[in-house]
Amino acid sequence: MAGAPPTGAGVRIWDLPVRLFHWSIVLLIPALWWTAENGRMELHLLLGEILLGLLLFRLLWGVLGSSTARFASFVKGPVAVIRYLRGNGPGIGHNPLGALSVVAMLLALGVQIGLGLFASDEDGIYAGPLSHRMPDLESAHELAERHETFFWVLVALIALHLLAVLYYLVVKRSNLVAPMVTGRGPAGEAGQAMVPAPWWRFVLAVALAVGMTLAILKLL
Amino acid sequence: MKKLVLVTAAVAAFCGVAYAQRPAPNAAQTIQSRQASYKQMAAAQKAIGDQLRAGSPDIAQIRQRAAFLADRSVHVLRWFPRGTGPETGIRTRAKSEIWSDGAGFQRAGANFVVAARALNRAAASGDIARIRAAFPAVGRTCGACHDGYRAPAQ
Repeated sequence: MAGAPPTGAGVRIWDLPVRLFHWSIVLLIPALWWTAENGRMELHLLLGEILLGLLLFRLLWGVLGSSTARFASFVKGPVAVIRYLRGNGPGIGHNPLGALSVVAMLLALGVQIGLGLFASDEDGIYAGPLSHRMPDLESAHELAERHETFFWVLVALIALHLLAVLYYLVVKRSNLVAPMVTGRGPAGEAGQAMVPAPWWRFVLAVALAVGMTLAILKLL
Repeated sequence: MKKLVLVTAAVAAFCGVAYAQRPAPNAAQTIQSRQASYKQMAAAQKAIGDQLRAGSPDIAQIRQRAAFLADRSVHVLRWFPRGTGPETGIRTRAKSEIWSDGAGFQRAGANFVVAARALNRAAASGDIARIRAAFPAVGRTCGACHDGYRAPAQ
């Protein structure tokens, strides 16, 4: 597709898997909250398992994916963060500061899913797929309470993310939402664009993510 | 003879009413023991779920827990004599609806008995597919009662 005419302004920034992952999370987190609040636990557990698969895919895509999806391309040390804060030229993709937020959200998502996998409600009716690994109902239920509390850590990180997006939009006059929808945006100062990953890497990442998810759910 | 039947019926009815209205002799003890029983039932429920989640379920474990639940299910409705609700001031999550909506509570309890017995029969058969099919109804009927007649924790 390299020769395809550009649809919309700018250069390619986000590949389709990154965007699909992002917007799936946007739909799944409120749905997971709603199902938990309204006692729709069968659905909650199913959505949680789907989220586990998506997270595993994103982690794999962070190694196998296109240039802007890769952790190696955007996870930077404190020096880069300070340089960026001093106004040193943004490239494309996650900036060094935003990368911290991305890593924090992915980590928090991992913790939250991990808690849910081993948790049980107080009645032993609805329990995570790995809850039989907990010594007893009481300890599994304790994890459910942590799962409930930790949700607010996730909410705080998401709120911070939304505030940052709003700040970029209003103060820095830079729309970060549109590129996450269309995949395209202004080129970086050096004029670089995303280096896409070949399609077979996507197939490989999906296959690995599905395999790992099933292994966690069925074999552990 | 007819008189005797009438008198017996009247006495029985009186005793029934008297029993129903009698305040619990020891509300604290009743509340404590039903809470303990529910904890054991929750553990049994979780244990069956654990077996079904595990790669190779242990039928004997399931059988034992299912029999326990079926046996306890019959008694649940008797754990709530009048005077063991929130009005006692004792820490209990039993809602006053248990008594104000007695018919609904009885129905919910009866549904649980039906589900627990069905699970027990499935467990006795040893057929895992049948157990898997019968198990969700037990959780649902437990939960139906919790939704309407149990206050949230704290």
